Amino acid sequence: MSNPDELLRIEGVRKTFPGVVALDGVDFDLCRGEVHVLLGENGAGKSTLIKMLSGAHTPDAGRILVDGREVRVHGAQDAARLGIATIYQEFNLVPDLTVAENIFLGRQPRRFGMIDRKRMEAEAEILLARVGVHVSPRARVRELGIARLQMVEIAKALSLDARVLIMDEPTAVLTSEEVDKLFGIVRQLRADGVGIVFITHHLEEIAALGDRVTVIRDGRSVGQVPASTPEDELVRLMVGRSIEQQYPRRRADRGAALLSVEGLTRDGVFHDVDFEVHAGEVVGIAGLVGAGRTEVVRAVFGADPYDDGVVKVSGDRLKRHDVNAAMAAGIGLVPEDRKGQGLVLDASVEENLGLVTMRAATRSGFVDRKAQHVAAERMAGQLGVRMAGLGQQVRTLSGGNQQKVVIGKWLLADTKVLILDEPTRGIDVGAKVEIYQLINELTAAGAAVLMISSDLPEVLGMSDRVLVMAQGRIAGELRAADATQDAVMALAVSTPTAEKNTAKEASRGH
Amino acid sequence: MATDTLKSRAGASGAPGGLRRLLLDNGALTALIVLVIALSALSGDFLTTDNLLNIGVQAAVTAILAFGVTFVIVSAGIDLSVGSVAALSATVLAWSATQAGVPVAVAVLLGLGTGVVAGLVNGFLIAYGKLPPFIATLAMLSVGRGLALVISQGSPIAFPGSVSHLGDTLGGWLPVPVLVMVVMGLIAALVLGRTYIGRSMYAIGGNEEAARLSGLRVRRQKLAIYALSGVFAAVAGVVLASRLSSAQPQAADGYELDAIAAVVIGGASLAGGTGKASGTLIGALILAVLRNGLNLLSVSAFWQQVVIGVVIALAVLLDTVRRKAGAAAVTTGGAPGGRGRQAATYALAAVVTVAVVGATSFLHGGSSSSTTPRMGLSLSTLNNPFFVQIRAGAQAEAEKLGVDLTVTDAQNDASQQANQLQNFTSSGLGAIIVNPVDSDAAGNSVKAADKARIPVIAVDRGVNKADVDALVASDNVAGGELAARTIAEKLGGKGRIVILQGQAGTSAARERAQGFANGLKAYPGVQVLAQQPADFDRTKGLDVMSNLLQAHPDVQGVIAANDEMALGAVKALGSKAGTSVQVVGFDGTPDGLTAVKSGTLYASVAQQPTQLGRIAVDNALKAVQGKKVESTVKVPVKVVTKDNVAGFSG
Repeated sequence: MSNPDELLRIEGVRKTFPGVVALDGVDFDLCRGEVHVLLGENGAGKSTLIKMLSGAHTPDAGRILVDGREVRVHGAQDAARLGIATIYQEFNLVPDLTVAENIFLGRQPRRFGMIDRKRMEAEAEILLARVGVHVSPRARVRELGIARLQMVEIAKALSLDARVLIMDEPTAVLTSEEVDKLFGIVRQLRADGVGIVFITHHLEEIAALGDRVTVIRDGRSVGQVPASTPEDELVRLMVGRSIEQQYPRRRADRGAALLSVEGLTRDGVFHDVDFEVHAGEVVGIAGLVGAGRTEVVRAVFGADPYDDGVVKVSGDRLKRHDVNAAMAAGIGLVPEDRKGQGLVLDASVEENLGLVTMRAATRSGFVDRKAQHVAAERMAGQLGVRMAGLGQQVRTLSGGNQQKVVIGKWLLADTKVLILDEPTRGIDVGAKVEIYQLINELTAAGAAVLMISSDLPEVLGMSDRVLVMAQGRIAGELRAADATQDAVMALAVSTPTAEKNTAKEASRGH
Repeated sequence: MATDTLKSRAGASGAPGGLRRLLLDNGALTALIVLVIALSALSGDFLTTDNLLNIGVQAAVTAILAFGVTFVIVSAGIDLSVGSVAALSATVLAWSATQAGVPVAVAVLLGLGTGVVAGLVNGFLIAYGKLPPFIATLAMLSVGRGLALVISQGSPIAFPGSVSHLGDTLGGWLPVPVLVMVVMGLIAALVLGRTYIGRSMYAIGGNEEAARLSGLRVRRQKLAIYALSGVFAAVAGVVLASRLSSAQPQAADGYELDAIAAVVIGGASLAGGTGKASGTLIGALILAVLRNGLNLLSVSAFWQQVVIGVVIALAVLLDTVRRKAGAAAVTTGGAPGGRGRQAATYALAAVVTVAVVGATSFLHGGSSSSTTPRMGLSLSTLNNPFFVQIRAGAQAEAEKLGVDLTVTDAQNDASQQANQLQNFTSSGLGAIIVNPVDSDAAGNSVKAADKARIPVIAVDRGVNKADVDALVASDNVAGGELAARTIAEKLGGKGRIVILQGQAGTSAARERAQGFANGLKAYPGVQVLAQQPADFDRTKGLDVMSNLLQAHPDVQGVIAANDEMALGAVKALGSKAGTSVQVVGFDGTPDGLTAVKSGTLYASVAQQPTQLGRIAVDNALKAVQGKKVESTVKVPVKVVTKDNVAGFSG
């Protein structure tokens, strides 16, 4: 019990919300200088647990001990006093303040009652150097990319002298290069004696970084195992059954080219992008964040303009920057930012499912809501959306079910070409497989799927062909059979030129 | 009492759980019911068919405006321009029908078209010009009001008789404005619930980008949404003008805030994505019930505003608490947390009841004895010392004569005054004293009082197109002539002067300006350099005079249409006032007389406002007692200068 290295212990914690038991008897402990991975499906109770440590929730029963003493964490101040810092998926940074101001927000060093900018910036510089990020303390947070934002968050946690650092899916939004860098920092912190609670859905990261793993399922801690535990064993613990196949791609017959893109260019963003997607085919787009993948598919969909090039669906040229023309031709987009661009969060499942088909269901200005209801009911059943009813707000659904709703609204519109931008980001293993099954059903029915993903095993496992983008150009194309993670990464970090592009054009036969 | 039947009827319908659910699901409805129960307990006049219909009429304009604003707020926008657009539409209708000679049907279309165009301009600026809705509609607020004044040249225009029937009653009891409100409410509910554009409003308000990426033509929809808001504003403007039989360029001033309050009280979020027509109707009714009830309870005009503000905050607070409880209830099914929150909702409802009952009975201040004669005095405004003095004179006289006098403040809003007069009439007062905001607009309300055989005394300003028992006034035109003569004589028959005019569209401003012009005809040597309105307001007087001084540094005299503006001008003139520049004011307010004493103000054409108030109450009592009153009682006007100021007091 009295392990001198023990920073934190949670015993038999229970938390209920009206109508649901979020946590029921969870045990957890954290030692100095270790990375303790918290593993579980979405909705298993991981978030509730870390919110209890950061003071957002208080337990109904059970104890939290810090340094062997029982404590009550009633708010962010309590957590800070105990040396517990949390980095959430959604960052808590003020976009229009500088990096230094964000790091010291509310605790800015003062001189004569005025903020001592010089000292603040100097101290911020030291912290930023410690996390190994080259950012000016005077830069505005708005101007930073997502990876750097995370580093700023870590620097902020360090400035609090955090002894316990909780990281909620820190790698979900990072490219593999950035992930490596993050791991370096985490290892450094571990060497400094910080205890780290690390939440991830990427099983391979556990072996790479973790020391111990606590698995949570349905609000209970179901096991504590070493990080070296084989992945399928971890999956079995997490979902309570074994998942036969992580990427159950069933190749469909390839038909005619449905979507063809020629020489698509937006100056300074992407250049000379050519590709085709055939009926029954899944084409993956891999690449680093910032390679221009999202920008290309948004331009194809008409959400953003482009300067040059042609987009054709079944041979018919599409009007530029016109979402409705793209939709009429049968293109659908499941955007990267599910909550910000995919869903009307406070509206019901039914309304979200009916968003795309609303126009078609309108007769002389009036929406046929009965037909919309019937269609939504059918689609929700077909997709297996787990919900209390069609009237439930999508905000309260889990990530996987939210994503099913976004996909469902396009399925209702009989979409022929579905573009998926990071379709499984932040979604647990079980729901991921369901979405892969959906992709299979779509292609089997003769639709074409274009999928952006930063999750390399997913791209390789689910695509029939993989396009790799780098610096706004298509750096190369790989057949599923030849694609390996190394081959994709080699292309992703290459510097494609216009010449190389034409060479690739020539080499790409069908 | 009638409240009991209401309750038992709901209970008898066999769904007490359903009723509780309905109330919990709609905090505003609960607040409305609480208010109605409290007010009927406090005032016997409240829960009568007549009075409830009055409330309907009084809610109609706000409700119709608010239905339009609901569309905008649901789609996460805001429309500040609806009040101005209402006034502009009514003005266009009246002007084209009566002055441009367009057939009435076409004029109606033009009026509605004006609303559409104003809305389209808003929508265009917002959707295509990327202006924030707050700014775009703020601009339209100013443009609309300005155009209404330009078209009408500041004067009310008589409304075509056939359209004015919209302000009448059907079958002698059902007011048409209520009917229009119900129809517009049903249309709004239909649009929001069933139509493509309505459903788009929720999607756009909930998440504009998601809506766009789902193929909604967001910009085009926004155009339509603001245009719809404009149409509703136009309809509201037409209803308002028909009630008054006159299109007033200054009508519906500030109504946009009432409309927004009604929408928010009704449960919509300013963040967009939620809101219902039924909620908005309840919100508008809450505001109307409050104003009506506070009138009936003779709560002081100043306290009324305080109470209304408090109730708005409480209603929204109640709804917020209810919503939190509701969000928990979705997942509950009887878990412990839910009941606590429900209890909190009930507790809050109880607090609201106690607060309302307490506040009203406290402010009520005992006027229950029915042996003394009861009278109502509706003043155009209490924002100006002149009218405060009328009130003081009237109250002193009422106390002396043992009359129970209720005073209301119309805040320079003709339609609010119509509501107050309607309330006076329906609560069966012995006599009504009215100081009209606008002489034409008060006509309909006074006619209604005449019909109910209640004597009406007009004070300071007359009432057109209706019979009053007496007009107690000082002659504005004669006063204006006097002011002109005073300044001209002081300048020795020649010199350069400027004139500060009163608020455009008010009869006092028009008549005094007329008087100034008449008086100056006799002095061709006096040159008028500029005439600018400063709205009877001291601060505006200061600003306008400062600006005029830039253009005309050589000015020698100033005539201001009231003392407030004159004192503003004196401030702007600094040491010049009373030395190289002579200022003449109007009204003889205490501040004005003090300035005359100190010499900065050369003269004030003094009315005797306390006398006006006193004599009005006197005559009203005579009329109640069936004694004969003179049809016009002139209260003398005189020029007060340093020589005679000592012996003079208002």
